[in-house]
Amino acid sequence: MAAALSGVLAYVGCGLLGFIGAPRLFSWLALLAGSAAFLLWAPGFPEALVGGLPWGIAVAGDMWALGLWALGIVLHAAVLLHARGRAGAFHPLTTVLIGACLAAGLSRDLFNLYVLMDLTSLLALVLIAFERRPRAVWAGLQYLVLTEVGLILYLFGLGLVYGKLGTLSVSSLAFRGVDLRDPALAVGAGLLLAGTAVKTGVFLLGLWLPQAHGQAPTEVSVLLSGIVVKVGVVALARLAEAFPVGNLLVALGIITGFGGLAYAFWERDLKVFLGFHTMSQLGYMIIAVGLGAGMGALLYVVAHGLFKGLLFLAAGEAVEGTGRREIAALAGQLSVPVALSLAVGTWAIVGLPPLAGFAAKGVLAQAAPAWTKTVLFALGVGTAASFAKLLPLFRPVGKGRVGGLGVLTGAVVGFGLAGILAFPELTSWRAWGEAFLAVAMGYALYLGLRAVAPPLARFTFDRMLVSILLGTVGIAALVALGWLS
Amino acid sequence: MDGLAALALSIALVGVGFWALIVRRNLIWKLLGLNVAAGGSILFLVALAYRPGARPAIVGLGPGPAADPLPQALVLTAIVIDFATLALALVYVIFLTEHRHTQDVHRLEREEEWPQP
Repeated sequence: MAAALSGVLAYVGCGLLGFIGAPRLFSWLALLAGSAAFLLWAPGFPEALVGGLPWGIAVAGDMWALGLWALGIVLHAAVLLHARGRAGAFHPLTTVLIGACLAAGLSRDLFNLYVLMDLTSLLALVLIAFERRPRAVWAGLQYLVLTEVGLILYLFGLGLVYGKLGTLSVSSLAFRGVDLRDPALAVGAGLLLAGTAVKTGVFLLGLWLPQAHGQAPTEVSVLLSGIVVKVGVVALARLAEAFPVGNLLVALGIITGFGGLAYAFWERDLKVFLGFHTMSQLGYMIIAVGLGAGMGALLYVVAHGLFKGLLFLAAGEAVEGTGRREIAALAGQLSVPVALSLAVGTWAIVGLPPLAGFAAKGVLAQAAPAWTKTVLFALGVGTAASFAKLLPLFRPVGKGRVGGLGVLTGAVVGFGLAGILAFPELTSWRAWGEAFLAVAMGYALYLGLRAVAPPLARFTFDRMLVSILLGTVGIAALVALGWLS
Repeated sequence: MDGLAALALSIALVGVGFWALIVRRNLIWKLLGLNVAAGGSILFLVALAYRPGARPAIVGLGPGPAADPLPQALVLTAIVIDFATLALALVYVIFLTEHRHTQDVHRLEREEEWPQP
């Protein structure tokens, strides 16, 4: 435990020192110290209370902590390598942000999770607005206000649960086996769930996500989609451990997966398109968490962090290099490393072997019951369909800088190969055939739906607020009425 | 103030805050609404610490039952976070006002007025 806590401390400390001077040096130092701490505690450590009895903060080095730490270290290395030219507070801010995410991986206390989620929102806003583009500032401001609304709801839920049970530690809540037939507790659990859903980016509650991720500067999008939304997923996993809300999470995951896909399919802006895809991929993770598929969920979180980080890095390079954001305008404009990285990322996200997406989807599908397998397959078809429009972008022209793209490409390939070696059932003909079938069906769907343009509702700020409040009432009512349980 | 009255007041504050957040068009008003709602959630936690006939949870006030100290400790953190959020959000509202010359959310959302990247 001491190693993990000193790793977090090194991250936050080096980040703060970087504000004074030598920002890149201190960020490398933080990365080094963080990796060393990770290696020291790596197999994990049992739950302990920081600050002693009876009200210490529970921390544990469980599998979620392992996943978030591995992801944070790889993404930080990629961002540090890539953002060489960023001046001023950029590197210190990213360092503190990653430190907060690492701490959230360790935390098993509901209030501590609230503080860390809020800290990541604040830091993320400063980073989204870093380039001072008015559009990015507006997207970031919406992000901050909406997550703050979610976290106010979370505080109410926290109060209700604490008032009834007198504890906020996930383990002691899980140990007691909370009975959600008590209306106050059920509403409390529903509010906790809804608040975290807003922060995570669940469809209809977290509609800020695509714009905030799409308008942010290149490296910031990588971190936001790579690790910051994963903090929310880990918080949802903790809530699923403390309260019996698994089925509700599966339902939310299905809505999120297909809702994100519907918007992504017709989106023309490359980075906003990837933002909608982060949302739809969150659906997979939330379904996995709801099913209690621990290993599948964890692998998906890490794999998605890697390949979506790669996609956002390549897309950001493409947008910065050409000055255009629409997918159609970028065809035949990209340099070799950028086009190749986009192709590798797309290959991974649609779940083709032997890359990271295939390994994660395969392990997840094994843990899923039969009817969810069909849902996951349909989500895969939809993903392939909406990514089909990126095909013209893969034709490269001229040379370009590799930077952090190499790190993430290597990580995506390595993760996929390691996954296939570790899970021999992934080498079956059936698994490979299903993966290629999903992509083929997706391409056919793309050709069929290309000409259609349905009127999708545009979500303004006020509508997003109303949908958060209605979604919260809906979730709390579902938990209180005991449906889906 | 009685515990129940404080609970009712906290819920009313959140309602008023969210109402302002939704119906007002000016960003400053929206942020004020957010802050009122956050105040409601803080009051809710403080009200939970209430125990009938208990003294405040301060060391050295003598014997007898004390109010629950944990929610009050949590509230300190929550107050700091709300302060930081409001301050940071106001900085960016000033930025948007300088660049778009408006604080009206409807005008901020009109696509054609955005400077192209």
